[in-house]
Amino acid sequence: MSHLHIPDGILPPVLWLVGLLLMLLLTGLSVAATRRTGPQQIAYQSALGGLMLAVMALPVPVAGLHYCMTLAGPIGVLLGWASAVQVSIVVTVILALLGQGGFTVIGLNAVVLTFGAVLARWIYLRLATALGPGRAMAIATAISQLLSSAAWVAILAAAVRLRPAAILNHDVHDMMQFVQLSLLATLLLPSLAAAVAVEALLAYGLGGFLGRVRPDLLPQPAPERLPSSEIPST
Amino acid sequence: MINTFAQIDYLASSGRSPWHHASALGKLLLAGLVVMLAVFTTSWMLLLTLLVTVLTLCLSARLPTRLILAAAAAPFFFSFVFIVATWAGTPYGPFMRMMRPMVASLIAVWLVGTTPYPDLFAPLSRVLPRVVADSLFLTYRAVFALLSRTERLWRALLLRGAVGQGGARRYALMGEAIGTVVLSGFERSQRLYQTMLLRGHSGRICGCRHYLEFTRSDLAVLGVGVWAGAAALLLWRSGVVDI
Repeated sequence: MSHLHIPDGILPPVLWLVGLLLMLLLTGLSVAATRRTGPQQIAYQSALGGLMLAVMALPVPVAGLHYCMTLAGPIGVLLGWASAVQVSIVVTVILALLGQGGFTVIGLNAVVLTFGAVLARWIYLRLATALGPGRAMAIATAISQLLSSAAWVAILAAAVRLRPAAILNHDVHDMMQFVQLSLLATLLLPSLAAAVAVEALLAYGLGGFLGRVRPDLLPQPAPERLPSSEIPST
Repeated sequence: MINTFAQIDYLASSGRSPWHHASALGKLLLAGLVVMLAVFTTSWMLLLTLLVTVLTLCLSARLPTRLILAAAAAPFFFSFVFIVATWAGTPYGPFMRMMRPMVASLIAVWLVGTTPYPDLFAPLSRVLPRVVADSLFLTYRAVFALLSRTERLWRALLLRGAVGQGGARRYALMGEAIGTVVLSGFERSQRLYQTMLLRGHSGRICGCRHYLEFTRSDLAVLGVGVWAGAAALLLWRSGVVDI
């Protein structure tokens, strides 16, 4: 769901302006954090950004429908927050140039994509030791997908609330809103459940594979601090 | 979207319409103007004028009809959700909410369909931080290699029956397949790094300066800009819709 790119002209300007400001802030922080990054890291994050775009283009069959993956979770796990921010921005800009998602909402789209990626890494690092890379990546991806979707719904709700049109008849408005929300829930919840399940299973396969073949590409959780009595004296 | 990248890239480099000869900067500014007008206008007449204008731009650039239709339909899902959530019983709101993203999406496709990516990214790279600007160039280049590799892998999975497996197993296998592409991407990034060092990478990919080369075709771009501006001045208060 974090792959649902918001197009231009749907959201009120105040929302996308906030999105652009957030994106600028995140860009500044990530650039400061990667100030000493060499071309090798840029090349690696670009390769993963390219993979994100390539995978988004591939339809995965889910119950007769085609679902497009994002890989935001696994790529966030592999890259870390600063590079994930930059990859999300680059991917969003390229998609906007292809007509997938708007120019004015590049900020919001990038922030939602970044949110999922950064969150996945944070969860993964807390689960990897106990569950192993496959399961940890699956759970991290599932939770980040759910929360990205929640962010997406929150943006939608804020946009509806900030709509300038005045509604005169409150009874009709309440009834219509009930019908509209029921219809949306019927449409969106099954798609959300399927999307989260598919992304989590793909992440499980990906995490397990990298854990077996190239564990050095996966982030290692920080070693737990030993009590001072257990630190060997030199 | 699987062939869209390659198709757009080919069209941008090989097209012969006047729009293809115009400078990238002029087209970027025109696209920005049209998007801003579409986003801020509350006049359905202006929006319709802009839609006809961008359709004319796309057709005169000889972009394939399928690509134009795909661009027009791309924002449909999100617009539909928003229309359902906000519909207040009048047809004007849904009309505006469908047309605005359609205009923006079509002008985006016209822009990338008539401008090769080094020219398009070069002005953007001047305003973006170095890491992000370099990433923009390298990510776009990486897409093509990874797309073809991922496509081959997908076909192999289909032919070898991985897609016919039970639900959970099928997706886990697909995840493992993506893992091989991640490894390939990692190895590719190392080769790319060595190539950059060999070619004397100075710490920034600057892109070319073609984006600033103004030609006679830029007059046509300027003409469309003037037309859009005049339409905005004339129609801004006509057919205003309260959405």
